[in-house]
Amino acid sequence: MKDSRLTRKVLDRLKEHEISEKDVLIHSPVDLSLDGNYIKGFIAVTEDKVVVLEADLPRDTVHLFRNAENPEMTPEEDLCEYDVRIYDEDKLAHIRLDVYVGSNVLTGSYEGEDVIIACFTNRYQEQMNVLYRKLKGALHGNELEAEEQSEPEDIEIAEKKNKRTIFGRTLKYFLKYKILVFLLVITYTVNGVINIAWPYLIGKVLFDHVLEKDKAFLDSFGLGENILIALLVVAVVMILVRFTQALSNYLQIFFMARLSSTAIRDIKNDVFDAMSKLSLNFFVNKQTGGLMTRVLSDSDRVRNFFIDGLPMIFVHGITIVSTFIVMFNLNWKMALISCILLPLLVFMTVKLRPGLWILSGKRHRAEKAVSSKANDNLTGARVVKAFGQQDEELKGFEGPTANLKNAEIDIAKLRNRFEILYKMVQEVSGIWIWIVGVFFVLQTHEIELGVLITFVGYVMQLNGPMNFFSWIFRMWADSINSAERLFEIMDAIPEIQEAKDPVRLEKPKGVIELTDVTFGYRVGRPVLKGLNIKINEGEMLGIVGRSGAGKSTLVNLISRLYDVNEGSIKIDGTDIRDLSLTDLRRNVAMVSQDTYIFMGSVAKNIAYGNENASRANIIRAAKLASAHEFISNLPDGYDTIIGASGKDLSGGEKQRISIARAILADPKILILDEATASVDTQTEKAIQYSLNYLVKGRTTLSIAHRLSTLRNADRLIVIDGGRIVEEGTEEELRKIDGGIYKTLLDLQNKSLSLQTEF
Amino acid sequence: MSDNTINIYEKKAAEMTATNIIDPEDVFSKTPGGFLSLDRGGEHYERVRVIRLFPFSDADRFLSIRDHGNGDKEIGIIEDLNAMPEESKKLIKEQLKLSYFTPVIEKIYGIKDEYGYAYFHVLTDKGECKFAISMGSNAVTKLSDTRLIINDVDENRFEIRDVDKLTKKERRMLDLFL
Repeated sequence: MKDSRLTRKVLDRLKEHEISEKDVLIHSPVDLSLDGNYIKGFIAVTEDKVVVLEADLPRDTVHLFRNAENPEMTPEEDLCEYDVRIYDEDKLAHIRLDVYVGSNVLTGSYEGEDVIIACFTNRYQEQMNVLYRKLKGALHGNELEAEEQSEPEDIEIAEKKNKRTIFGRTLKYFLKYKILVFLLVITYTVNGVINIAWPYLIGKVLFDHVLEKDKAFLDSFGLGENILIALLVVAVVMILVRFTQALSNYLQIFFMARLSSTAIRDIKNDVFDAMSKLSLNFFVNKQTGGLMTRVLSDSDRVRNFFIDGLPMIFVHGITIVSTFIVMFNLNWKMALISCILLPLLVFMTVKLRPGLWILSGKRHRAEKAVSSKANDNLTGARVVKAFGQQDEELKGFEGPTANLKNAEIDIAKLRNRFEILYKMVQEVSGIWIWIVGVFFVLQTHEIELGVLITFVGYVMQLNGPMNFFSWIFRMWADSINSAERLFEIMDAIPEIQEAKDPVRLEKPKGVIELTDVTFGYRVGRPVLKGLNIKINEGEMLGIVGRSGAGKSTLVNLISRLYDVNEGSIKIDGTDIRDLSLTDLRRNVAMVSQDTYIFMGSVAKNIAYGNENASRANIIRAAKLASAHEFISNLPDGYDTIIGASGKDLSGGEKQRISIARAILADPKILILDEATASVDTQTEKAIQYSLNYLVKGRTTLSIAHRLSTLRNADRLIVIDGGRIVEEGTEEELRKIDGGIYKTLLDLQNKSLSLQTEF
Repeated sequence: MSDNTINIYEKKAAEMTATNIIDPEDVFSKTPGGFLSLDRGGEHYERVRVIRLFPFSDADRFLSIRDHGNGDKEIGIIEDLNAMPEESKKLIKEQLKLSYFTPVIEKIYGIKDEYGYAYFHVLTDKGECKFAISMGSNAVTKLSDTRLIINDVDENRFEIRDVDKLTKKERRMLDLFL
């Protein structure tokens, strides 16, 4: 980013305060004043000072945000007069970065007084975060190192591919099937030639030569006097031509279907392949449902253009050009006169079509609103009825449907107007040609009737291609957009990537070691802060903490659904980033609070990730998970189809199936994330029992709110505010006065005793 | 098990669930460093943070006042900012203006939609701005039929107060999002 560099003006100002460019170890732009106006400014950190430079901007400045445009200003062009504030680092303490809704504020205490150091918009959040962390480290006595400022590029702009490369890349998917493409080209050529020949055949040949008994012409075919035979030949040729056209049309559609479905299949496969490799973050950030429909509709749009659009550009283009050539050769005056109205048609379509597109986009959105509202209502039917809100919901439905109605009416109105106008101009131009043509034929004898008929045929024939070109560019743009979105998914670099030469994890022991693990889902908001812990082979570690303390995050990191920001996680001494992902996932099984059931039989669900499991083993696993009882009572037993469109299971039942899945997987490391959260006490006892069996010989991490679940844990840790605050055996933790574990335990015991009293 | 700890916890639970109303008698003031502080019921809070509970539908009512830095614990709620003394009102508004920094779009010069991004060129009450939004995500939030919040790729906010007040040409450019 150009505007993140220190400008000459800024450097000059710094020099006045005896700070040279080399002294600045790290800097970042800032762009807000304390009273909430855009400014231009920088914050620069040196060995012992923090310098804030701020300047008002002239009123007519255009404020540029990320991706908006390349800021053109070079550091030399800066004309701002900067105000300078200098903070000595030894007097500065307690700096904080406060994130508000539309702004961020860096504060601290200077000489014992709280001060605001700088404000900035989200535009500079990333850079300021780096600066903040460095500065904070420096204030805590760490050596402040000069930052190799890796410029946060405007990635989208840098990588923005131009239309041609996207087009070429998409085309490759189709051109891969050379034979099919070749056959298609032949059929298109045949069609094109026939299109040109046809009006000539029925006009010039039939009327002027045959019906006019053009001797020279007939003689050249050796037909001489025999007009009837000549007529017959023309008829047969006409039939043959039409037949050839039909045949080539048939083949064209056939080849096209072949080519388009295979090419689109390839694209879709590539997209889904890429998607499955992407990390969890991608799916959390983009709604998965939207993603699926997007992939499907985008690939449809790409196909439509490349199959219906692209070849026709050539066909129609050639038709137009050759038609003009033929027309002008036949009679240039007549050609000029017939084409006089064509520009009007082109102008009309160019003018009116965009309105139609906007309206159809509007209708599409209105449709979506209606269907999502309906969907909402149907899925939430239970709540709607329970709260007696049917009438209100009905009323809420009226808005979207009325919108849809209006959109439909608007579009019908405009389309009507457009079509009537278009047809009218077409008709007028047809009549116009007849009138002028008849004048030519009768008055000047410049042309013959046949030529006139040929002309009318050509002009009518031009309408189609002209019309085509009025919308094909829109289609092109749409499909390139769609293709680009598809490639975006294909090219997205998975955040979790397997190392080049992954270390295999054979016969793992299951020792887990976390060193200084820091992690946050968003920049500048760490959930875990500098965690250190070693979990031994076969140990069961209980994790306790308030909701939102970071317990689930911790276990997600161990199964590498996310990568740590800082520090490392090692299994058997190897960093998990170097391990083969397949091995890692095979050896780490998770039973989590969000159970996931696939579409399929109960048996398949239990054997997920373990397809070769024997029936006996499946049943054994189900028994251990206390799932066998309810499964046997299902009418179809282990073959019952569950999941999206199958039988609905209760929360506890689903949970037991996922426990069975983990039991069957037989992992070396087992993660239980609230594994028994949605089962009743009795079932929990049963599962507890089976878990006791399950954890034997495995390294187990267990998260639970019900502390009784953790009674068998070898060791417990309490996480609070992203840090381990208490650690030890259950007995040890119970003795810490005022400790979190102790209070939680007291509270739970109390509510338990309350329950027994009733 | 000691009954004492339980009582403490119950008290804490009661504290957590109670709604405290901040009334005009409580004094807001500005610290020399430019922060908002509050004196309430004999207690002094050096830095407080103001959060709108209904930032869109009722921006000046129900403001949550929080003890900044202390786990951002809620001190209380201001039910109606306009019922507060002028001085407090001014100070609180100042704070809100910064923390809810949202330029209001007054004029649209152009919207270009390309490659999954829409590029806006607008005039706001804070000056002329050019920014980009991603079309894939829900960058445009419709607060009502006529009021829009637009988030750029960095989640900077821009607002259109009343779509109907725009010219027909501007509305047509916005059509994509209405």
